[in-house]
Amino acid sequence: MSLLAILLAAGAVVVACGLVGALIGGLRWSLLLQAAGMAMIGAVGTAVLFGAASVGARFRSGFSPALGVDRMSGFFLLVLSLIAVPALYYARDALRGAPRARVTAGLSGAFCLALVGLLTARDVTTFLGFWELMTLLPAALILVGRHDERARRDVFAYLAITHLGGVGVWASMLVLAVHGALGGTPLHGEGLRALVAVLALIGFGTKAGAMPLHSWLPRAHPLAPAHVSALMSGVMIKLALYGLIRVLFAWDAPAPLWVGVVLLGFGALSAVGGVLYALFQHELKRLLAFHSIENVGIILLGLGASLVFAAIGRPLWSAIAFAAALLHILNHAIFKALLFLGAGSFAAAVGGLGLDRLGGLLRRMPWTGGAFALGAMAIAGLPPLNGFVSEWMTLQSLLHVAVYGPFGVSLTALVATAALAATAALAVFCFVKVIGLVLLGAPRSGECEAAKESSVGMRAPVVFLAALCVLLGVTPGLLVPTLAKLRLSSVPLSVHAGVYLPGTGGFPTLALTLALVLLTIGLWRLGTGRRAAPTPIWACGQAVVPALAWTSSGFTKPIRLVLEGVLRPTRELTTVRAQSGVVQEVRYEAEVPHLFDTLLYEPVTAAALRAAALVRRLQSGSLRTYLIYLVGLLVLLLVLVRLGVLA
Amino acid sequence: MSVAGALAGAVQVLGGVLLAPLIPGLIQRLKARLQGRPGPSPLQPYRELRRLWHKSGVAPFPRTVIYELAPPVVVASSLVALVMLPIGGRSPGWPVGHDALVLVGLLALGRFAITLAAWDTGGGFGLMGASRELTFGVPVEAVLLMVMVLVALPVGSTNLIALSDAAARPHVWGEPAHWAALLAFVLVMLAETGRQPIDNPDTHLELTMVHEGPLLEYAGRELAYLQWAAAARHWIMLVLATELFVPHPGPFAARLAVLVVSVPVWCGLLAVVETTQAKMRVLRVPLFLGAGGLVCLLGLASWFAGGGS
Repeated sequence: MSLLAILLAAGAVVVACGLVGALIGGLRWSLLLQAAGMAMIGAVGTAVLFGAASVGARFRSGFSPALGVDRMSGFFLLVLSLIAVPALYYARDALRGAPRARVTAGLSGAFCLALVGLLTARDVTTFLGFWELMTLLPAALILVGRHDERARRDVFAYLAITHLGGVGVWASMLVLAVHGALGGTPLHGEGLRALVAVLALIGFGTKAGAMPLHSWLPRAHPLAPAHVSALMSGVMIKLALYGLIRVLFAWDAPAPLWVGVVLLGFGALSAVGGVLYALFQHELKRLLAFHSIENVGIILLGLGASLVFAAIGRPLWSAIAFAAALLHILNHAIFKALLFLGAGSFAAAVGGLGLDRLGGLLRRMPWTGGAFALGAMAIAGLPPLNGFVSEWMTLQSLLHVAVYGPFGVSLTALVATAALAATAALAVFCFVKVIGLVLLGAPRSGECEAAKESSVGMRAPVVFLAALCVLLGVTPGLLVPTLAKLRLSSVPLSVHAGVYLPGTGGFPTLALTLALVLLTIGLWRLGTGRRAAPTPIWACGQAVVPALAWTSSGFTKPIRLVLEGVLRPTRELTTVRAQSGVVQEVRYEAEVPHLFDTLLYEPVTAAALRAAALVRRLQSGSLRTYLIYLVGLLVLLLVLVRLGVLA
Repeated sequence: MSVAGALAGAVQVLGGVLLAPLIPGLIQRLKARLQGRPGPSPLQPYRELRRLWHKSGVAPFPRTVIYELAPPVVVASSLVALVMLPIGGRSPGWPVGHDALVLVGLLALGRFAITLAAWDTGGGFGLMGASRELTFGVPVEAVLLMVMVLVALPVGSTNLIALSDAAARPHVWGEPAHWAALLAFVLVMLAETGRQPIDNPDTHLELTMVHEGPLLEYAGRELAYLQWAAAARHWIMLVLATELFVPHPGPFAARLAVLVVSVPVWCGLLAVVETTQAKMRVLRVPLFLGAGGLVCLLGLASWFAGGGS
């Protein structure tokens, strides 16, 4: 047994000790123990990713349990530990005084272990077992914390949708195992391979939150405690992509061209749709959940481009697009965890996350607020932070698909490029709004006025993640060749701080960041000379009263009006009080309905319920009826055998 | 470093920094002439900048450090973009690369900084302009990226130097895709430079402002920064239009000459558009820009119909 295997097992044992400790002993040290264990597991993953020999078993098609870590698992273990360690550390202070904190802490450890288990599973039984645990444990975690009617309904929707979609995961994995594809025997037959690809797309796509299978995600993610939201949005949905990558890039490989094009379509839809609905949310965590859909879309665009490149015979670009997708998986995990933890701190300080009730928190919570602003810049895809690097690589991949592909593919890639560019612009729009409403301006409520900076234990993880955003934005090139090698072992990319790809003008991140930062500081010192006495802001000479403050819906109104035909917003204006014909008080309600719910999910649910009602008529409860059914079935079978339909 | 490279570097830095304010000045002058007025001198923007440089800043309340950082960030991103842009297909090899998509990212960074500053002071007019600017930003970025795809088709690269060299080769000029990309790019250029029919740079009515809105709360050197950055954006867009689309064969000197001639011609074109076009309704702008996207789709189809050279 190798050293790494021992370290991995020790890490798991330490997390398990922390799990048990949380239930019976002290909350704070057991969460620390869990974080330490996750760090050990992450160290193993990093070692394997950067060239150490694989640990444990290889993938096998048998049904006996086996565990192991290869380089792909190593990468995802690194992602997991980079999120889990700060999240668990954050939970030490965040769970203080929370209802049923012990159970929550214990379940958090169990959730982390389930994620590790899924990544180290080397056979279909273990994989599917941990897959189910990964789905069920967050539901338990949410229901431990809150059990109001609405939460229960949303958790039910989460379980229902992910389990219906999960059929795809079970079916595709079992087909692959039965045909020995997990052990390395390639699948035979175009039809079978297409079937596996479609099943995997539906199954893993549902769990990843790809549109239109996403409806559970914006319901479930905002309900969980902050550190669990961070794990769910940062890691859990990525593990669905891990499964998809395994199926499409290894077990069911080489995927035909159409699979790549379908991925591009799903990716573009999820990216634009996710960010568009995020723009019109009024609750911070729900908004962030929609952004997870957007980012899954961006990752799918990268994966789709990689498959297309492989199908049209461009292995190098296939590896680059693959690296772009993996880098975005890592980047999104980091900034999304940062934003969810930051949102948790704001909720703890203010007591709510309604966007129009916050404001002015940057001055009151400079550490959390500053880190949150950096994370928002990163997720908006702005240079020089990490989000821009992976979005740039994805854009480059799509652009080169358009250049190298045949006409239909090229046209798809052109539209996908435009979609990704629009997504980036909409994300900037959305996060300008978020930073503005949450951190800047005057406080919009008394609680906000009185908000205090959170404790060091809640500040440190957020600042750590913000530092990672900067680090990965400045030196992504240290990682990119390693990630590309997961797809193509002989990648001619050398290790630099920046990213230099063939067919681009190069992206020297370090020099660019230095130039931007130094110029900004120099110009800042030069430009802020003397200032006149404090002046009120310009409102055409009016006094600036709180009623003049801009709201979330006010800021997004132009784009809502432009896209009215697609979004179909509703608005209702009623007169509440009128005095002798002069209106004194009005009531105004406006909403951007989630059309996927009203046009897709509700009709499907209604049809399913109607079908169930029809079937229920058969169940009369009378014994004689059932006897008639039995006799009828028997006669039918006999007739069929007689006719030779059933041999 | 070659002579051509050094010369290109000098034009990038000195031209970009010093000559950029001449472009809006020139457009104003040409516009006034077209309208039968004498108009201000083309040097008027320089006088404005000098005046602002010697005035004190204002201190609106509430504000945070973001209010102070936004103008330097806008200027810094413009400066980096300036040296990223090759001149006559040459560059002295600044260590910031020459990638077209990074350039688009830098433009987005400037937009982000100034719109965030509008939230910082929370002024209604600033936010109105910011919200419109971000709305326009969506089709602008989408169409700009589609244009980049079209111009990258013949060379398979987003390196601005390679793209400029491609536009120097005669066979590109017969490509409908090239001209479709130019048409779409002109629409983007109108939006990015804040010109009519999309925005009115001369307006003093707060309710109609787009680019100018977030600038309302600034004065002194900070306002000078922002006004210079607006001029620099003209420079970036006009030079990009020349480098990517205007036929410029021959050696470096000839290419430089083409640039010297074509930038004033672009200014004249913008002045003509400003004179003949009324400002359109805010909500029609995205559709107007979206038309550029359709033109790009047609361009791609024509590229494949022609067999793709």
